[in-house]
Amino acid sequence: MKNYELIEHTADLAVRVRGRDLNDLFKNTALAIFEISSEKLRNKDIKHKKIIIKQKADNLPELFVNWLNEVISLSAAKGLIFDGFQISKLTENNLEAVASCSDIKNYKINSEIKAATYHELHIEKNESGWQAEVIFDV
Amino acid sequence: MYETREVALEKIDDFRWRIPRSYKPGMRVPGIIYADEKLLKDIRQDKALEQVANVAFLPGIVNASFAMPDIHWGYGFCIGGVAATDPENSGVVSPGGVGFDINCGVRLLKTNFQYEDIKDKLKDLVYALFSDIPAGVGSKGDIRVSAKEEKEILVKGSKWAVGKGYGTQEDLECTEENGAIQGADPQAVSERAYERGKAQSGTLGSGNHFLEVQVIDQLYDRDICDELDLNLGQVTVMIHSGSRGLGYQVCEDYVKSMQHCLQKYNINVPDRQLACAPVNSAEGKAYLSAMKCAANYAWANRQCLMHLTRMVFEKIFSLSWQKMGMSLIYDVAHNIAKIEKHVIDGKEKGLCIHRKGATRAFPPGHPALPERYKKIGQPVIIPGDMGRNSYLLAGTQKAMEETFGSTCHGAGRLKSRTAAAKSINLGVLLKELEAKGIIVKASGRGTIVEEAPQAYKDVNDVVDVVHNAGVSKRVCRMKPVGVIKG
Repeated sequence: MKNYELIEHTADLAVRVRGRDLNDLFKNTALAIFEISSEKLRNKDIKHKKIIIKQKADNLPELFVNWLNEVISLSAAKGLIFDGFQISKLTENNLEAVASCSDIKNYKINSEIKAATYHELHIEKNESGWQAEVIFDV
Repeated sequence: MYETREVALEKIDDFRWRIPRSYKPGMRVPGIIYADEKLLKDIRQDKALEQVANVAFLPGIVNASFAMPDIHWGYGFCIGGVAATDPENSGVVSPGGVGFDINCGVRLLKTNFQYEDIKDKLKDLVYALFSDIPAGVGSKGDIRVSAKEEKEILVKGSKWAVGKGYGTQEDLECTEENGAIQGADPQAVSERAYERGKAQSGTLGSGNHFLEVQVIDQLYDRDICDELDLNLGQVTVMIHSGSRGLGYQVCEDYVKSMQHCLQKYNINVPDRQLACAPVNSAEGKAYLSAMKCAANYAWANRQCLMHLTRMVFEKIFSLSWQKMGMSLIYDVAHNIAKIEKHVIDGKEKGLCIHRKGATRAFPPGHPALPERYKKIGQPVIIPGDMGRNSYLLAGTQKAMEETFGSTCHGAGRLKSRTAAAKSINLGVLLKELEAKGIIVKASGRGTIVEEAPQAYKDVNDVVDVVHNAGVSKRVCRMKPVGVIKG
């Protein structure tokens, strides 16, 4: 079962994502961005590289939005698609992660996600873990 | 998450509705929506009205939080919103009131051709336009720009493109702000934004951006049509694009930095995407300087796209673009914030006008208009969807008096992209369009479905409202015959 689903929004892209814990939630939401917007063209001969991502914020929602926007922005600026994240540090104000990525040429891009927004942003802990709802501008 | 609550509206007249200040404690002004009963039914389907009310919280907002009939749910501001703030009364500027695609806008150019002149070559023309004009997500163009030139584009806008030979002085006169808004400061733009916009000059982009070959199918104001030399059956070209990756990053950078301004300036807004700072604060000034850079980038981009279009026409018809009469009618921004002079209680004031999915519609005689349009008013370009119509309107005095010189910007979405993808069959859609004589070429098959006519309101209904309400007037209507999508 996918750990995210699309929810209705008139113009943009709204996504509900689940994670076992907060770390998992951050990782799954970032991965959802690339699963939704791109399709891998080949599996062989793909050279991967690692990028360290660090983010700071005043609170958890801000950290969440900053993290997603950093990933989107890095992807667009560097021509990379991310397919794995290892989050080594995550507090309400700090995040450190190692991201695995490869050249955008290995993918077919189906849609452009411009940014994550604060509008109707919900991050909450529930019985089975953590859940977030976030709207992306597309 | 998305349950909507009924917003109690007061009817002002057949085309205007009010959200009273009492709707939500904290609203500084009422909300005013331009719509008729039919459009209102669609508008009530999502949370756009709630967003109109939220915008009314902005410090220094003047008169009302306005929404045009193409209004739909966005993030922070609704799409189709107009908000003016008074810098002398703690008025703020909000990057969310402009959006990620800064100076997304439209330009319309005419030709001397009648449809009959091009119909046999239409397929070749559309395929050549698709081949020569880079489109699609993250598309990169053939127009190569050095690092030094990139900064030049941010200050000079369309003038940079004209300097490179991609147009004429006349094109600049027929562009809002002459294609370069003053006060752009490249220092206010982050390195990431430069990197994200690199090599995207002269590229269409994706989503709802397009290039259309159109034919005029209805004349409304014969005097203005005569003035513009526009006739029934005449071929026009419409280009819809924006500031690409550079603009997205500028918005992102400043939404992020302005989160801190809410506390610093003690600003209370119901949605953090409405983060803002006083226009006269260091943060407000920095955003406006960067936003102007992105706006200028977008004007240069549309100028380059028009140049590429002219070159394709030259290739297909073996005539110079001048001989084909491919002059620019006008270019308008529909995602922008600008300091403009407006009269409030009999006094002229410099206000910060946010237009997010709204178009400037200045009246005849306005000093911002070029001489050639002083008599007829500002040309306003309203793109519709790929299967129905687009419009050329003109600005009015009533818009100046009621909506800070603003009108609608398009048809406005009706269906979400996911709902469109689920309910529309690509093959059936393409056949329907073909039956109407419309050739479509797109980078992604998904885009065609997401942007299908059924996903939009009928632009004819939207334009009826702004015309009947008097905030702009119909000049002529076009129908698409060739569509290039990203």
